[in-house]
Amino acid sequence: MSGTSPEADPRKLAEQARDRVRFEEDALNLADQVYRVARRLVSTREEAEDLMQETYARAFRSWQSFQPGTNLRAWLLRILTNLNIDRGRRVQRSPDMQPLEEGDYFLYNKLEAAGDSDTDRVEQRLSQDDTVAALSAVPHDFRDVIVLVDIGDFSYADAAQILEIPIGTVMSRLHRGRRILKRELAERTVGSSV
Amino acid sequence: MAPGLEVDPCDKCEEMMQPYLDKVLSDEERAEAEAHLDGCAYCRKRYTFEVELRQFVRTAFVEEMPPELKMKLSELRTPL
Repeated sequence: MSGTSPEADPRKLAEQARDRVRFEEDALNLADQVYRVARRLVSTREEAEDLMQETYARAFRSWQSFQPGTNLRAWLLRILTNLNIDRGRRVQRSPDMQPLEEGDYFLYNKLEAAGDSDTDRVEQRLSQDDTVAALSAVPHDFRDVIVLVDIGDFSYADAAQILEIPIGTVMSRLHRGRRILKRELAERTVGSSV
Repeated sequence: MAPGLEVDPCDKCEEMMQPYLDKVLSDEERAEAEAHLDGCAYCRKRYTFEVELRQFVRTAFVEEMPPELKMKLSELRTPL
């Protein structure tokens, strides 16, 4: 029908409905992976659950702003991190850039100095609880990039897009954040006196 | 620590360790890191540890999404 607007065209409407359903299914299929990252971006399970619901509600409302063919998981995480900031759960600030004495070998050297004869077996030296606690002790700015890159398997570029920071900042925060994490792990595993 | 000349090669290897594991070094830098790792037991031990540490950190945070949350998310879908 020549005078019918696209919005009222039944074929267009059906096509749009199909696209929406597909989008929602794709987004829900990623929920486990999004939750895994969300759970480590905030402190508690309850916060993560709230944030997930807000994220999915917003994603389903604004599904048309997602560009098919781009990274849906990164798109969902970007909504989630923005909501996290909006709700004041996180204070944006300049990250601490004081010189850090600990290098990348710090944790290994500490374990070795503690007289551990089986230093190479990471899983026997570190506990899951200590690792979770150590990550929680890493300041937010650094923790976010560790969570996205080392736990969420996002590329530097995706992490930069999600956090809306330059890629160089992702790299420098990752570099520093990993060293802070090792320091925290060393303190929990062998104590600060070693 | 292994003996060094002007710049301690183990210090340099330590600096390159994370970029090496992230696969963001240039071909030349990667070759340099690999040549050092091949010949230095001190750094090779630490490299092996780093690989295992990354894997450990990744698996330490596996936490299943609660099934009731999955249901709540499904309920947010647009009604057909």
